[in-house]
Amino acid sequence: MAQYDRLSATLSALADPTRRAILARLALGETSVTDLAEPFAMSLPAVSKHLKVLERAGLIARGRKAQWRPCRLEAAPLEEISSWLEHYRRFWDQSLDRLADYLEARKDESDGERP
Amino acid sequence: MANAPEIHERAELTQVRVLDAPRDVVFRAWTAPAQMAAWWGPKGFSAPVCEMDARPGGRIFILMRGPDGEDHPMAGRFEEVAPPDRLVFTGWPEDGQGNRYAENHVTVTFEDEPGGKTRMTVVSHAVAFVPMGGALGKEMDRGWNESYLRLDALLMKDKR
Repeated sequence: MAQYDRLSATLSALADPTRRAILARLALGETSVTDLAEPFAMSLPAVSKHLKVLERAGLIARGRKAQWRPCRLEAAPLEEISSWLEHYRRFWDQSLDRLADYLEARKDESDGERP
Repeated sequence: MANAPEIHERAELTQVRVLDAPRDVVFRAWTAPAQMAAWWGPKGFSAPVCEMDARPGGRIFILMRGPDGEDHPMAGRFEEVAPPDRLVFTGWPEDGQGNRYAENHVTVTFEDEPGGKTRMTVVSHAVAFVPMGGALGKEMDRGWNESYLRLDALLMKDKR
């Protein structure tokens, strides 16, 4: 269950365009929260909220020592998700979509048989 | 008994769907070979061979064919078959040489929903016996890359 939760956390963290933009910025290097907030029309607390989501998902790490607690990208979950887990999720998502379509088509068929 | 194979990667997912059909109908879509063959696999895939003996210990064999014509065989075994409530099975995808490179344990539960619908919960746990980021992962990519989410591409798009 813990692993599933981590996967959901990663995926939902990535679902937000602001958070993806934050990750894209961090891909260039370690940055302070103030610098991260600058390109966004957003308050520091709002940015901090996004960072907390990213941190919980294990997508970023924050320095403990320095006062300004620099943020940096954690690559592992990204690599994981863009590889096998993503395959796996897509396998199931698309199979279950097809199951729903299949049942829908069968229903239409049997409706047609009994007008 | 053979040594337990080394586990390189794990994947776990829980998916819930509400389907517009009663439980027994949804259950049969998982246990009747001709029905399973009609939906198993991602978009663009087909299942030219689908054999299953839906009882505890019963065998499963599905040959899944990708849009590029590549075959992906999977052997399996039913663990629990309790219509229309619960179905548990294990699947072992095989490479071209018949080696099982992963194990997929799937539990499906079916609950009544109002209006003759079914709430279906699919809990799947997979382990890989080979590093999936390696050659085999890339092999799988070829069949699946038509809608493959590339995170780096996504990030680039955001940056424009």
